[in-house]
Amino acid sequence: MPTVKNWQLGREMSYPYDARYPSRQFAFVFNINRCIACQSCTMACKSTWTFSKGQEHMWWANVETKPYGGYPQWWDAKILEKLEEANPGGQLWGGKPADGRFGPYGKFDGQTVFEAAARTLTPDSARVLGYLPTDEEWNSPNIYEDNPVGKRGVRNKLDETGVQLPVHNTWFFYLARICNHCSYPACLAACPRKAIYKRPEDGIVLLDQAECRGYRKCVEACPYKKTMYRGNTRTSEKCIACYPRVEGTDPETGGEPMETRCMEACIGQIRMQGLVKIAEDGTWAEDRYHPLYFLVHVAKVALPLYPQFGTQPNGYYIPPRWVPRPYLRQMFGPGVDRAIENYVSPSRELLAVLQLFRRSNRIIFRYDIQEGPKIYEGSLHGRKVEIYNDTVIAFGKNGRELFRTTVEEPIHVRPNTHANSI
Amino acid sequence: MPYDEPEFDDPQDLVGVELPGDESVTREMAAAFADEFAQLGFSRAQILALYRKAEYTGAHQAWRLLGEDEVARIVDESVAVWGRFAYVVTDCVDDAPEPQPLTLFRHRS
Repeated sequence: MPTVKNWQLGREMSYPYDARYPSRQFAFVFNINRCIACQSCTMACKSTWTFSKGQEHMWWANVETKPYGGYPQWWDAKILEKLEEANPGGQLWGGKPADGRFGPYGKFDGQTVFEAAARTLTPDSARVLGYLPTDEEWNSPNIYEDNPVGKRGVRNKLDETGVQLPVHNTWFFYLARICNHCSYPACLAACPRKAIYKRPEDGIVLLDQAECRGYRKCVEACPYKKTMYRGNTRTSEKCIACYPRVEGTDPETGGEPMETRCMEACIGQIRMQGLVKIAEDGTWAEDRYHPLYFLVHVAKVALPLYPQFGTQPNGYYIPPRWVPRPYLRQMFGPGVDRAIENYVSPSRELLAVLQLFRRSNRIIFRYDIQEGPKIYEGSLHGRKVEIYNDTVIAFGKNGRELFRTTVEEPIHVRPNTHANSI
Repeated sequence: MPYDEPEFDDPQDLVGVELPGDESVTREMAAAFADEFAQLGFSRAQILALYRKAEYTGAHQAWRLLGEDEVARIVDESVAVWGRFAYVVTDCVDDAPEPQPLTLFRHRS
Protein backbone atom coordinates (compact mmCIF):
# COMPACT_ATOMS: atom_id res chain seq x y z
CA MET A 1 0.00 0.00 0.00
CA PRO A 2 1.41 3.46 -0.85
CA THR A 3 2.38 5.83 1.92
CA VAL A 4 1.27 9.45 2.23
CA LYS A 5 2.21 12.28 4.56
CA ASN A 6 -0.38 13.17 7.20
CA TRP A 7 0.61 16.51 8.78
CA GLN A 8 -2.03 16.23 11.50
CA LEU A 9 -0.51 12.94 12.69
CA GLY A 10 3.07 14.15 12.21
CA ARG A 11 4.09 11.08 10.23
CA GLU A 12 3.62 9.07 7.07
CA MET A 13 0.77 6.57 6.90
CA SER A 14 -0.59 3.91 4.56
CA TYR A 15 -3.35 4.89 2.14
CA PRO A 16 -4.71 2.83 -0.78
CA TYR A 17 -3.84 5.50 -3.36
CA ASP A 18 -0.85 7.72 -4.06
CA ALA A 19 -1.04 11.25 -2.70
CA ARG A 20 -2.75 13.85 -4.92
CA TYR A 21 -3.41 17.31 -3.56
CA PRO A 22 -5.77 20.05 -4.72
CA SER A 23 -4.50 23.60 -5.31
CA ARG A 24 -6.95 24.88 -2.72
CA GLN A 25 -8.87 22.94 -0.09
CA PHE A 26 -12.41 23.48 1.21
CA ALA A 27 -11.99 23.89 4.99
CA PHE A 28 -13.96 25.34 7.88
CA VAL A 29 -13.66 26.36 11.53
CA PHE A 30 -16.55 25.94 13.98
CA ASN A 31 -16.39 27.67 17.36
CA ILE A 32 -18.14 25.21 19.67
CA ASN A 33 -18.15 27.70 22.54
CA ARG A 34 -20.92 29.58 20.75
CA CYS A 35 -23.14 26.74 19.56
CA ILE A 36 -26.54 26.48 21.26
CA ALA A 37 -27.92 23.74 18.97
CA CYS A 38 -30.59 25.89 17.36
CA GLN A 39 -30.33 23.54 14.35
CA SER A 40 -30.60 26.39 11.81
CA CYS A 41 -27.67 24.86 9.88
CA THR A 42 -29.31 21.45 9.93
CA MET A 43 -32.53 22.79 8.48
CA ALA A 44 -30.79 25.02 5.93
CA CYS A 45 -29.04 21.96 4.51
CA LYS A 46 -32.12 19.76 4.74
CA SER A 47 -34.32 22.24 2.90
CA THR A 48 -31.71 22.75 0.19
CA TRP A 49 -30.42 19.26 -0.60
CA THR A 50 -32.17 16.39 1.19
CA PHE A 51 -35.89 17.13 1.10
CA SER A 52 -36.85 14.43 -1.41
CA LYS A 53 -38.39 11.02 -1.12
CA GLY A 54 -35.82 8.49 0.02
CA GLN A 55 -33.75 11.13 1.83
CA GLU A 56 -35.88 11.34 4.95
CA HIS A 57 -33.18 9.90 7.20
CA MET A 58 -30.38 12.02 5.67
CA TRP A 59 -28.90 14.96 7.55
CA TRP A 60 -25.73 16.01 5.73
CA ALA A 61 -25.37 18.75 8.33
CA ASN A 62 -26.35 17.90 11.88
CA VAL A 63 -25.76 19.10 15.43
CA GLU A 64 -25.46 16.46 18.12
CA THR A 65 -25.19 16.71 21.89
CA LYS A 66 -21.91 15.28 23.07
CA PRO A 67 -20.92 13.06 24.77
CA TYR A 68 -24.11 10.97 24.67
CA GLY A 69 -25.60 11.97 21.33
CA GLY A 70 -24.65 11.02 17.83
CA TYR A 71 -25.90 10.72 14.27
CA PRO A 72 -25.86 7.85 13.58
CA GLN A 73 -26.03 6.86 17.23
CA TRP A 74 -22.67 6.08 18.87
CA TRP A 75 -20.73 6.61 15.61
CA ASP A 76 -17.56 7.84 17.30
CA ALA A 77 -17.68 5.47 20.27
CA LYS A 78 -18.05 2.54 17.88
CA ILE A 79 -15.13 3.41 15.63
CA LEU A 80 -12.91 4.27 18.61
CA GLU A 81 -13.76 0.90 20.11
CA LYS A 82 -12.92 -0.89 16.84
CA LEU A 83 -9.55 0.85 16.66
CA GLU A 84 -8.85 -0.04 20.28
CA GLU A 85 -9.72 -3.69 19.57
CA ALA A 86 -7.36 -3.66 16.59
CA ASN A 87 -4.53 -2.06 18.53
CA PRO A 88 -5.13 -2.59 22.26
CA GLY A 89 -3.54 0.07 24.42
CA GLY A 90 -1.62 1.51 21.47
CA GLN A 91 -3.83 4.40 20.32
CA LEU A 92 -1.55 7.02 21.83
CA TRP A 93 0.06 10.30 20.87
CA GLY A 94 3.76 10.87 21.42
CA GLY A 95 6.51 13.14 20.26
CA LYS A 96 6.74 16.86 20.70
CA PRO A 97 4.53 19.40 18.91
CA ALA A 98 6.44 20.85 15.97
CA ASP A 99 6.71 24.56 15.36
CA GLY A 100 6.09 24.18 11.65
CA ARG A 101 3.04 23.07 9.72
CA PHE A 102 3.91 19.35 9.88
CA GLY A 103 3.11 17.62 13.16
CA PRO A 104 1.82 20.59 15.21
CA TYR A 105 0.16 18.20 17.69
CA GLY A 106 3.08 15.80 18.05
CA LYS A 107 3.16 12.33 16.50
CA PHE A 108 0.36 9.79 16.59
CA ASP A 109 1.85 6.37 17.39
CA GLY A 110 -1.38 4.40 17.02
CA GLN A 111 -3.19 2.93 14.03
CA THR A 112 -5.40 4.82 11.58
CA VAL A 113 -8.53 3.29 10.03
CA PHE A 114 -6.41 2.34 6.99
CA GLU A 115 -3.54 0.78 8.95
CA ALA A 116 -5.83 -1.10 11.34
CA ALA A 117 -7.70 -2.53 8.34
CA ALA A 118 -4.50 -3.92 6.83
CA ARG A 119 -3.75 -5.68 10.13
CA THR A 120 -7.16 -7.02 11.04
CA LEU A 121 -9.43 -7.33 8.02
CA THR A 122 -9.72 -10.03 5.40
CA PRO A 123 -9.93 -10.21 2.43
CA ASP A 124 -7.33 -7.76 1.19
CA SER A 125 -10.04 -5.86 -0.67
CA ALA A 126 -11.27 -4.54 2.68
CA ARG A 127 -9.28 -1.33 2.80
CA VAL A 128 -10.76 0.61 5.70
CA LEU A 129 -11.75 -0.38 9.23
CA GLY A 130 -15.37 0.61 9.71
CA TYR A 131 -18.87 -0.63 10.27
CA LEU A 132 -22.29 -0.26 8.72
CA PRO A 133 -24.72 1.51 11.07
CA THR A 134 -28.11 -0.11 11.51
CA ASP A 135 -31.34 1.50 10.31
CA GLU A 136 -32.25 2.21 13.94
CA GLU A 137 -29.01 4.14 14.46
CA TRP A 138 -29.76 6.39 11.47
CA ASN A 139 -33.42 6.82 12.40
CA SER A 140 -33.38 9.57 14.98
CA PRO A 141 -30.60 12.15 14.70
CA ASN A 142 -31.45 13.58 18.11
CA ILE A 143 -32.95 10.63 19.93
CA TYR A 144 -33.32 11.26 23.66
CA GLU A 145 -31.79 14.68 23.21
CA ASP A 146 -33.17 18.05 24.01
CA ASN A 147 -35.89 18.37 21.41
CA PRO A 148 -38.85 19.88 23.20
CA VAL A 149 -42.31 18.65 22.35
CA GLY A 150 -45.69 19.71 23.60
CA LYS A 151 -47.42 18.05 26.47
CA ARG A 152 -49.55 15.10 25.48
CA GLY A 153 -52.88 16.30 24.09
CA VAL A 154 -51.78 19.96 23.77
CA ARG A 155 -51.29 21.07 20.18
CA ASN A 156 -49.06 23.81 18.79
CA LYS A 157 -47.42 24.63 22.11
CA LEU A 158 -44.02 23.56 23.37
CA ASP A 159 -43.53 22.27 26.87
CA GLU A 160 -42.32 25.31 28.79
CA THR A 161 -40.23 23.51 31.36
CA GLY A 162 -38.82 20.69 29.25
CA VAL A 163 -38.55 17.15 30.42
CA GLN A 164 -39.18 16.79 34.12
CA LEU A 165 -36.06 15.00 35.25
CA PRO A 166 -33.68 15.77 38.07
CA VAL A 167 -31.02 18.31 37.09
CA HIS A 168 -27.71 16.48 37.13
CA ASN A 169 -24.49 18.33 37.66
CA THR A 170 -23.17 17.03 34.39
CA TRP A 171 -21.47 18.46 31.32
CA PHE A 172 -22.13 18.37 27.60
CA PHE A 173 -21.72 20.45 24.48
CA TYR A 174 -23.04 20.68 20.96
CA LEU A 175 -21.02 19.33 18.06
CA ALA A 176 -22.04 20.63 14.65
CA ARG A 177 -20.91 18.34 11.84
CA ILE A 178 -20.79 18.18 8.06
CA CYS A 179 -18.59 16.12 5.73
CA ASN A 180 -14.96 16.99 6.46
CA HIS A 181 -13.95 16.72 2.78
CA CYS A 182 -10.90 14.86 4.04
CA SER A 183 -7.51 15.00 2.35
CA TYR A 184 -7.37 11.19 2.49
CA PRO A 185 -11.06 10.28 2.30
CA ALA A 186 -11.96 6.87 3.67
CA CYS A 187 -15.09 6.80 1.49
CA LEU A 188 -12.98 7.32 -1.63
CA ALA A 189 -10.49 4.67 -0.53
CA ALA A 190 -13.21 2.09 0.03
CA CYS A 191 -15.27 2.56 -3.15
CA PRO A 192 -14.75 -0.45 -5.46
CA ARG A 193 -16.31 1.51 -8.38
CA LYS A 194 -14.06 4.57 -8.01
CA ALA A 195 -17.28 6.59 -7.97
CA ILE A 196 -15.95 9.00 -5.35
CA TYR A 197 -13.45 11.68 -6.33
CA LYS A 198 -11.76 14.75 -4.89
CA ARG A 199 -11.84 17.86 -7.04
CA PRO A 200 -8.41 19.30 -7.88
CA GLU A 201 -9.57 22.92 -7.69
CA ASP A 202 -11.13 22.98 -4.22
CA GLY A 203 -10.68 19.52 -2.65
CA ILE A 204 -14.43 18.94 -2.37
CA VAL A 205 -15.20 15.21 -2.24
CA LEU A 206 -18.06 14.21 -4.53
CA LEU A 207 -19.86 10.98 -5.25
CA ASP A 208 -20.71 10.29 -8.90
CA GLN A 209 -24.30 9.06 -8.89
CA ALA A 210 -23.92 7.55 -12.37
CA GLU A 211 -21.04 5.34 -11.26
CA CYS A 212 -22.40 4.36 -7.83
CA ARG A 213 -24.02 0.93 -7.52
CA GLY A 214 -24.94 1.26 -3.87
CA TYR A 215 -22.49 -1.23 -2.38
CA ARG A 216 -22.32 0.99 0.72
CA LYS A 217 -18.59 0.47 1.15
CA CYS A 218 -18.28 4.24 1.60
CA VAL A 219 -20.95 4.25 4.30
CA GLU A 220 -19.07 1.51 6.10
CA ALA A 221 -15.69 3.17 5.69
CA CYS A 222 -16.31 6.84 6.53
CA PRO A 223 -15.36 7.08 10.22
CA TYR A 224 -17.49 10.24 10.55
CA LYS A 225 -20.47 8.47 8.93
CA LYS A 226 -21.15 11.28 6.49
CA THR A 227 -22.00 9.19 3.46
CA MET A 228 -25.53 7.86 3.45
CA TYR A 229 -27.43 5.28 1.46
CA ARG A 230 -30.63 6.17 -0.38
CA GLY A 231 -32.93 3.19 -0.68
CA ASN A 232 -35.18 4.35 -3.52
CA THR A 233 -32.32 5.18 -5.92
CA ARG A 234 -30.05 2.41 -4.59
CA THR A 235 -27.11 4.77 -4.51
CA SER A 236 -25.20 6.56 -1.77
CA GLU A 237 -25.18 10.32 -1.31
CA LYS A 238 -23.11 12.81 0.67
CA CYS A 239 -22.55 16.49 1.43
CA ILE A 240 -21.49 18.32 -1.73
CA ALA A 241 -20.16 21.38 0.13
CA CYS A 242 -22.77 23.47 -1.75
CA TYR A 243 -20.23 23.52 -4.57
CA PRO A 244 -22.20 25.84 -6.88
CA ARG A 245 -21.93 28.49 -4.16
CA VAL A 246 -18.24 27.78 -3.45
CA GLU A 247 -17.50 27.96 -7.19
CA GLY A 248 -19.48 31.18 -7.57
CA THR A 249 -21.69 29.65 -10.25
CA ASP A 250 -24.91 29.77 -8.23
CA PRO A 251 -26.97 32.77 -9.47
CA GLU A 252 -27.10 34.18 -5.91
CA THR A 253 -23.32 34.47 -5.72
CA GLY A 254 -22.94 37.07 -8.47
CA GLY A 255 -19.88 35.15 -9.65
CA GLU A 256 -17.91 35.36 -6.38
CA PRO A 257 -17.24 32.38 -4.10
CA MET A 258 -19.86 32.19 -1.38
CA GLU A 259 -20.03 30.12 1.80
CA THR A 260 -22.29 27.08 2.06
CA ARG A 261 -25.92 27.15 3.18
CA CYS A 262 -25.15 25.72 6.63
CA MET A 263 -22.53 28.42 7.22
CA GLU A 264 -24.82 31.20 6.01
CA ALA A 265 -27.71 30.12 8.25
CA CYS A 266 -25.69 30.05 11.51
CA ILE A 267 -27.29 32.49 13.92
CA GLY A 268 -24.76 31.79 16.66
CA GLN A 269 -22.04 32.96 14.27
CA ILE A 270 -19.92 29.94 15.09
CA ARG A 271 -18.87 29.16 11.51
CA MET A 272 -16.31 30.32 9.00
CA GLN A 273 -15.54 28.51 5.77
CA GLY A 274 -12.77 29.12 3.29
CA LEU A 275 -10.51 27.75 0.59
CA VAL A 276 -6.95 27.34 1.87
CA LYS A 277 -3.85 27.09 -0.30
CA ILE A 278 -2.25 23.64 -0.33
CA ALA A 279 1.50 23.17 -0.75
CA GLU A 280 3.01 20.45 -2.94
CA ASP A 281 3.64 18.21 0.06
CA GLY A 282 -0.02 18.36 1.14
CA THR A 283 0.47 20.72 4.09
CA TRP A 284 -1.22 24.11 4.17
CA ALA A 285 0.90 26.57 2.23
CA GLU A 286 2.06 29.62 4.17
CA ASP A 287 -0.75 32.18 3.88
CA ARG A 288 -0.28 34.26 7.01
CA TYR A 289 -3.28 36.55 6.57
CA HIS A 290 -5.82 33.90 5.57
CA PRO A 291 -8.25 33.70 8.54
CA LEU A 292 -8.37 29.88 8.60
CA TYR A 293 -4.58 29.62 8.33
CA PHE A 294 -4.29 32.02 11.24
CA LEU A 295 -6.76 30.09 13.44
CA VAL A 296 -5.25 26.65 12.70
CA HIS A 297 -1.52 27.33 12.30
CA VAL A 298 -0.73 30.64 14.01
CA ALA A 299 -3.16 31.07 16.92
CA LYS A 300 -3.56 27.25 17.05
CA VAL A 301 -7.05 27.54 18.54
CA ALA A 302 -8.83 25.38 15.94
CA LEU A 303 -8.25 21.61 15.91
CA PRO A 304 -9.27 18.75 13.61
CA LEU A 305 -12.02 16.34 14.69
CA TYR A 306 -10.64 12.92 15.64
CA PRO A 307 -7.36 13.37 13.73
CA GLN A 308 -6.30 9.87 14.87
CA PHE A 309 -8.72 8.32 12.34
CA GLY A 310 -6.09 9.30 9.75
CA THR A 311 -8.25 10.82 7.02
CA GLN A 312 -6.79 14.32 7.60
CA PRO A 313 -10.20 15.98 7.97
CA ASN A 314 -10.60 19.60 6.89
CA GLY A 315 -13.13 20.57 9.55
CA TYR A 316 -11.59 22.36 12.55
CA TYR A 317 -13.12 23.16 15.91
CA ILE A 318 -12.40 25.67 18.64
CA PRO A 319 -12.97 23.30 21.59
CA PRO A 320 -15.49 24.14 24.33
CA ARG A 321 -13.61 25.62 27.24
CA TRP A 322 -15.70 24.06 30.04
CA VAL A 323 -15.45 20.40 29.06
CA PRO A 324 -13.09 18.04 30.96
CA ARG A 325 -9.79 17.85 29.10
CA PRO A 326 -9.38 14.04 28.81
CA TYR A 327 -12.55 13.85 26.73
CA LEU A 328 -11.45 16.76 24.53
CA ARG A 329 -7.97 15.28 24.05
CA GLN A 330 -9.57 12.10 22.76
CA MET A 331 -11.77 14.07 20.36
CA PHE A 332 -9.36 16.76 19.13
CA GLY A 333 -5.91 15.41 19.96
CA PRO A 334 -3.21 16.72 22.28
CA GLY A 335 -3.43 20.32 21.01
CA VAL A 336 -6.51 20.96 23.18
CA ASP A 337 -4.81 22.51 26.21
CA ARG A 338 -2.92 25.06 24.15
CA ALA A 339 -6.02 25.83 22.06
CA ILE A 340 -8.20 26.57 25.09
CA GLU A 341 -5.45 28.57 26.77
CA ASN A 342 -5.06 30.71 23.64
CA TYR A 343 -8.81 31.10 23.26
CA VAL A 344 -9.65 32.21 26.81
CA SER A 345 -6.80 34.73 26.83
CA PRO A 346 -6.98 35.84 23.21
CA SER A 347 -4.22 37.81 21.53
CA ARG A 348 -5.06 41.13 19.97
CA GLU A 349 -4.97 39.55 16.49
CA LEU A 350 -7.18 36.62 17.51
CA LEU A 351 -9.81 38.99 18.91
CA ALA A 352 -9.76 40.81 15.59
CA VAL A 353 -10.00 37.64 13.47
CA LEU A 354 -12.92 36.35 15.58
CA GLN A 355 -14.77 39.45 14.39
CA LEU A 356 -14.71 38.07 10.84
CA PHE A 357 -17.09 35.20 11.64
CA ARG A 358 -20.38 35.49 9.73
CA ARG A 359 -20.04 39.17 8.82
CA SER A 360 -20.49 38.23 5.19
CA ASN A 361 -21.59 35.22 3.16
CA ARG A 362 -18.72 35.71 0.74
CA ILE A 363 -15.64 33.56 1.24
CA ILE A 364 -12.80 35.52 2.85
CA PHE A 365 -9.38 34.96 1.25
CA ARG A 366 -7.34 37.48 3.23
CA TYR A 367 -7.67 39.93 6.10
CA ASP A 368 -5.84 43.03 7.11
CA ILE A 369 -5.79 44.79 10.47
CA GLN A 370 -5.42 48.55 10.87
CA GLU A 371 -4.40 49.04 14.47
CA GLY A 372 -6.30 51.53 16.60
CA PRO A 373 -6.03 52.75 20.19
CA LYS A 374 -6.61 50.66 23.30
CA ILE A 375 -10.15 51.41 24.48
CA TYR A 376 -10.54 49.11 27.47
CA GLU A 377 -8.43 47.33 30.00
CA GLY A 378 -9.82 45.33 32.89
CA SER A 379 -10.55 41.83 34.09
CA LEU A 380 -13.25 39.33 33.24
CA HIS A 381 -13.89 36.12 35.23
CA GLY A 382 -10.47 36.67 36.82
CA ARG A 383 -8.59 37.05 33.53
CA LYS A 384 -7.04 40.18 32.06
CA VAL A 385 -8.83 41.69 29.06
CA GLU A 386 -7.58 44.34 26.68
CA ILE A 387 -9.71 45.65 23.84
CA TYR A 388 -8.41 47.73 20.95
CA ASN A 389 -10.35 49.65 18.36
CA ASP A 390 -8.72 47.78 15.51
CA THR A 391 -10.31 47.85 12.08
CA VAL A 392 -10.42 44.40 10.49
CA ILE A 393 -10.80 44.38 6.72
CA ALA A 394 -11.83 41.23 4.81
CA PHE A 395 -10.93 40.67 1.18
CA GLY A 396 -12.52 38.30 -1.35
CA LYS A 397 -11.11 36.14 -4.10
CA ASN A 398 -9.94 38.90 -6.40
CA GLY A 399 -8.52 41.06 -3.64
CA ARG A 400 -11.68 43.14 -3.52
CA GLU A 401 -12.74 44.40 -0.09
CA LEU A 402 -15.80 42.60 1.25
CA PHE A 403 -16.39 44.45 4.53
CA ARG A 404 -14.63 46.02 7.51
CA THR A 405 -15.43 45.95 11.21
CA THR A 406 -14.60 48.54 13.82
CA VAL A 407 -15.49 49.03 17.45
CA GLU A 408 -17.76 51.90 18.32
CA GLU A 409 -18.38 53.23 21.77
CA PRO A 410 -22.09 53.74 22.35
CA ILE A 411 -23.63 57.18 21.96
CA HIS A 412 -26.28 58.08 24.50
CA VAL A 413 -28.94 60.41 23.09
CA ARG A 414 -30.63 62.56 25.68
CA PRO A 415 -34.41 62.26 25.67
CA ASN A 416 -36.43 65.17 24.25
CA THR A 417 -37.72 66.28 27.63
CA HIS A 418 -34.19 66.99 28.85
CA ALA A 419 -32.53 67.90 25.55
CA ASN A 420 -31.63 71.45 26.64
CA SER A 421 -31.44 71.02 30.37
CA ILE A 422 -27.70 71.60 30.76
CA MET B 1 -37.72 11.84 22.33
CA PRO B 2 -40.14 8.93 22.35
CA TYR B 3 -43.74 9.92 21.89
CA ASP B 4 -45.21 6.87 23.57
CA GLU B 5 -45.08 5.84 27.19
CA PRO B 6 -41.88 3.87 27.88
CA GLU B 7 -42.18 0.12 28.13
CA PHE B 8 -40.36 -0.78 31.30
CA ASP B 9 -39.42 -4.29 30.18
CA ASP B 10 -37.82 -2.99 26.94
CA PRO B 11 -34.07 -3.71 27.18
CA GLN B 12 -33.38 -1.02 24.55
CA ASP B 13 -35.00 1.70 26.63
CA LEU B 14 -32.78 4.57 27.70
CA VAL B 15 -30.67 4.05 30.77
CA GLY B 16 -29.53 7.40 32.10
CA VAL B 17 -25.80 7.75 32.49
CA GLU B 18 -24.46 10.74 34.34
CA LEU B 19 -21.07 12.14 33.35
CA PRO B 20 -20.37 14.04 36.50
CA GLY B 21 -19.06 17.54 36.40
CA ASP B 22 -18.49 19.84 39.31
CA GLU B 23 -19.72 23.35 39.91
CA SER B 24 -16.66 24.85 38.25
CA VAL B 25 -17.62 23.14 34.97
CA THR B 26 -21.17 24.50 35.17
CA ARG B 27 -19.88 27.96 36.05
CA GLU B 28 -17.41 27.92 33.14
CA MET B 29 -20.18 26.84 30.76
CA ALA B 30 -22.41 29.67 31.99
CA ALA B 31 -19.55 32.16 31.63
CA ALA B 32 -18.72 30.91 28.12
CA PHE B 33 -22.25 31.49 26.81
CA ALA B 34 -22.40 34.91 28.52
CA ASP B 35 -19.06 35.98 27.01
CA GLU B 36 -19.83 34.74 23.52
CA PHE B 37 -23.28 36.27 23.27
CA ALA B 38 -22.20 39.55 24.86
CA GLN B 39 -19.52 39.72 22.14
CA LEU B 40 -22.21 39.13 19.53
CA GLY B 41 -23.98 42.26 20.79
CA PHE B 42 -26.79 40.62 22.77
CA SER B 43 -28.18 42.76 25.60
CA ARG B 44 -28.37 41.64 29.24
CA ALA B 45 -32.07 40.86 28.88
CA GLN B 46 -31.55 38.87 25.68
CA ILE B 47 -28.77 36.77 27.20
CA LEU B 48 -30.76 36.07 30.35
CA ALA B 49 -33.75 35.06 28.20
CA LEU B 50 -31.54 32.48 26.51
CA TYR B 51 -30.65 30.93 29.88
CA ARG B 52 -34.29 30.81 30.92
CA LYS B 53 -35.47 28.93 27.82
CA ALA B 54 -35.66 25.15 28.29
CA GLU B 55 -34.94 24.60 24.59
CA TYR B 56 -31.33 25.77 25.01
CA THR B 57 -30.47 22.99 27.39
CA GLY B 58 -26.81 23.86 27.94
CA ALA B 59 -27.49 27.37 29.12
CA HIS B 60 -30.73 26.39 30.82
CA GLN B 61 -29.10 23.66 32.85
CA ALA B 62 -26.51 26.12 34.14
CA TRP B 63 -29.37 28.49 35.05
CA ARG B 64 -31.20 25.75 36.95
CA LEU B 65 -28.09 24.66 38.81
CA LEU B 66 -26.67 28.06 39.65
CA GLY B 67 -29.89 30.02 40.00
CA GLU B 68 -31.09 33.26 38.44
CA ASP B 69 -29.05 35.54 40.71
CA GLU B 70 -25.73 33.85 40.05
CA VAL B 71 -26.33 33.64 36.30
CA ALA B 72 -27.34 37.31 36.28
CA ARG B 73 -24.11 38.16 38.08
CA ILE B 74 -22.06 36.23 35.48
CA VAL B 75 -23.95 37.92 32.64
CA ASP B 76 -23.46 41.34 34.22
CA GLU B 77 -19.74 40.68 34.40
CA SER B 78 -19.58 39.78 30.70
CA VAL B 79 -21.83 42.63 29.59
CA ALA B 80 -19.76 45.10 31.64
CA VAL B 81 -16.81 44.32 29.35
CA TRP B 82 -18.22 43.34 25.97
CA GLY B 83 -21.48 45.25 26.20
CA ARG B 84 -19.81 48.65 26.36
CA PHE B 85 -18.87 48.48 22.67
CA ALA B 86 -20.73 47.84 19.48
CA TYR B 87 -19.01 46.20 16.54
CA VAL B 88 -19.84 48.12 13.42
CA VAL B 89 -19.67 46.23 10.13
CA THR B 90 -19.45 48.21 6.92
CA ASP B 91 -20.06 46.32 3.69
CA CYS B 92 -18.19 47.42 0.62
CA VAL B 93 -20.33 48.80 -2.16
CA ASP B 94 -21.31 45.95 -4.43
CA ASP B 95 -20.68 46.20 -8.11
CA ALA B 96 -23.81 45.92 -10.15
CA PRO B 97 -24.71 42.23 -10.13
CA GLU B 98 -24.21 40.44 -13.37
CA PRO B 99 -27.49 39.84 -15.15
CA GLN B 100 -28.58 36.25 -14.82
CA PRO B 101 -30.65 35.40 -17.90
CA LEU B 102 -33.42 32.92 -17.33
CA THR B 103 -33.11 29.84 -19.42
CA LEU B 104 -36.28 28.48 -20.86
CA PHE B 105 -36.52 24.76 -21.15
CA ARG B 106 -39.27 23.72 -23.50
CA HIS B 107 -40.80 20.29 -23.64
CA ARG B 108 -39.26 18.34 -26.53
CA SER B 109 -36.82 21.18 -27.25
